[in-house]
Amino acid sequence: MKYESQRVAWWFFATCMLLLSLQIVYGFIMGFAHAGYDNLHAIIPFHAARATHTNLLVMWLLCGFMGAAYYIIPEESESELYSPKLALVQLGALVVTGVTAIIGFHFNWWEGRKFLEIPRPLDFLVVIDVLAFIFNIGMTVKNGRRFTTTSLVLFFGLFAAALLYLPGMIPTINQTNDSYWRWWVVHLWVEGVWELIMGGILSFLLIKLTGVDREVIEKWLYVIVGLTFLSGILGTGHHYYFIGTPNYWKWIGGVFSALEPLAFLGMAIYAVTMARKGGRNHPNRNALLWTVGCSIMSFVGAGFLGFAHTIPQVNLYTHGTLITAMHGHLAFWGAYAMIVLAIITYALPNLTGRRRHDAPSAQIAFWTSNIGMLAMTAAFAVAGITQVYLERRVGMDFIVVQREIQVHFVGLILAASLFTFGIGAFIWNFIKYGRPVGEVLPAGASDETPEEAITAGHLEGIA
Amino acid sequence: MLSKKAARAFFLVGTAVCSLAMVGLTIDSFRRIPAQTHADRITPAVARGKDLWDHNNCMGCHTLLGEGAYYAPELTRVYRRRGPEFIRAMLRDPAAMYPGQRQMQNYHFNPAQIDDLVAFLQWIDGMDLNGFPPEPTLNQVALPSGAIAPTEDRPQVFNQLCVACHTLGGRGGSVGPALDHVGDRLNADYLTRWLHDPQAIKPGTLMPRLPLTEPQIRELVAFLSQLRTEVRP
Repeated sequence: MKYESQRVAWWFFATCMLLLSLQIVYGFIMGFAHAGYDNLHAIIPFHAARATHTNLLVMWLLCGFMGAAYYIIPEESESELYSPKLALVQLGALVVTGVTAIIGFHFNWWEGRKFLEIPRPLDFLVVIDVLAFIFNIGMTVKNGRRFTTTSLVLFFGLFAAALLYLPGMIPTINQTNDSYWRWWVVHLWVEGVWELIMGGILSFLLIKLTGVDREVIEKWLYVIVGLTFLSGILGTGHHYYFIGTPNYWKWIGGVFSALEPLAFLGMAIYAVTMARKGGRNHPNRNALLWTVGCSIMSFVGAGFLGFAHTIPQVNLYTHGTLITAMHGHLAFWGAYAMIVLAIITYALPNLTGRRRHDAPSAQIAFWTSNIGMLAMTAAFAVAGITQVYLERRVGMDFIVVQREIQVHFVGLILAASLFTFGIGAFIWNFIKYGRPVGEVLPAGASDETPEEAITAGHLEGIA
Repeated sequence: MLSKKAARAFFLVGTAVCSLAMVGLTIDSFRRIPAQTHADRITPAVARGKDLWDHNNCMGCHTLLGEGAYYAPELTRVYRRRGPEFIRAMLRDPAAMYPGQRQMQNYHFNPAQIDDLVAFLQWIDGMDLNGFPPEPTLNQVALPSGAIAPTEDRPQVFNQLCVACHTLGGRGGSVGPALDHVGDRLNADYLTRWLHDPQAIKPGTLMPRLPLTEPQIRELVAFLSQLRTEVRP
């Protein structure tokens, strides 16, 4: 850690841990409901659990991105954060808004638009809050001594994410127009600007962890985000096949969606190559594991599984089935959850001055959570494929089919338990790191690793 | 080898071209959507129905246009599949319509709100969705041999209401008993009394009192009575 104000990131990361835990609880509620044990129906009906589960995900990922930006931007632009106080206020406001929304869901207060369930008055608060964040980051970049591609890509990604929240607020009474704009937010976030944020964080981590020349890493960052937008923007079309929009979207969406895995494949090759090429043997191997793991899992979940069901002829049958849940889980885990956990794993030793990155629990966290999530994806896949065949191909009744596939949700719950164990280990590790008390490194100690810092006498090792 | 400048140019030009194309296609789509979705049929009732749909987060369980949460049935074509009377009965008391099954909450809608939701679902039903939802292509393959009473020969009310819970020829819901050969077991008089009020005959039965008119009951009784073993060997 080189700047005092980077410490503010810890609070964002701690919030991530809290919200992620709660998200998992709601996931279990839904898993049990699908398996036939909807015992909480009277208090937490499925749609409340669902809205809470997805909104908590969005919230903790945003918190993670913000934390990542507050950690990365000062270091990249070589200046203290414009206002650490504003960052804390902005975090507090975001949490209050989010918690209000989630409590509201349990009392039937929402907008009922998939992923954008937050009621309208709170939407405005979210926008104001994100603007405060952008302002804080923007001023830091502006006042900084250095403009790097990594910080620009990260900043532009965050800025565009804020901007793209607005189409979701366009009022319309036509369900098709409503969906159309909703995907501008949801799709252009997750398959557009969020990938920019992911690319920015990935590039920062690779520069720090592998020691490969910044110019090389940042050049390929441009290629990858270029591929992302080349495929992702018009790839929005795969949401416009069957919602009352023109038929030509099947062609446009189909072709550009088929290109979308390229960006993720690029990201995976990029991370793996840089990791192998890097001469530096950074002590935080676990952070590198999460970084490279993220690029590979995002290719499998977002790239490959996404491609598999956006082919229009396939999507005709899989649209609106559990196949989407299968793809969604691995995509969000691989691309966004893992990048946030990667930056947390990297930043914690620097923020707290404690070196726990080679602790066995940290290794266990990585492997069990990943294996658990892959098993969950498999359970969703079996349930989803069965649903597609029985309901869409054979024409059996929805509820009859749902009872036939209940057993696969028992498998899902078992897999999710393994996943939860892994996340539990991660959070336990997070707690063991303790509060941020890491010392600020003197100028000139720029890219040194904690180990080098200790040798140089810049950092007290509390191993 | 590719320079950083060239890589940046690739990013900027690619993004600009695709963004412009997206904006252009969006403008064109919004010109075509009204015709494809019959926007002229969006009455105030439909708009109120959409409002109810949104503000109760129906999408949090159901799917509509294939979008939603995969926990409750796809409702895009529910208007033609079940008909307005079934939808009304379901919205009045969901627990009665699917006893012992995956539960829907009772929202205590008033009759006017129920009409608005039916109007909304009727409007959705009329949309051109480029072939969605697809016809089940393995329908015929999976049909048991010697199936009785093809779908076309059945009363419409049977296809919309009864099959929600009962099967005939292996097709339908699995809440109530199969209705194959029901004519062997039950006579017309019993069936008539049963359809009027199942609870009166067998208190505690799972079958709800359905919103059926007299002509519909007569039509159903006639149909059910002829479902006998010897009709189609």
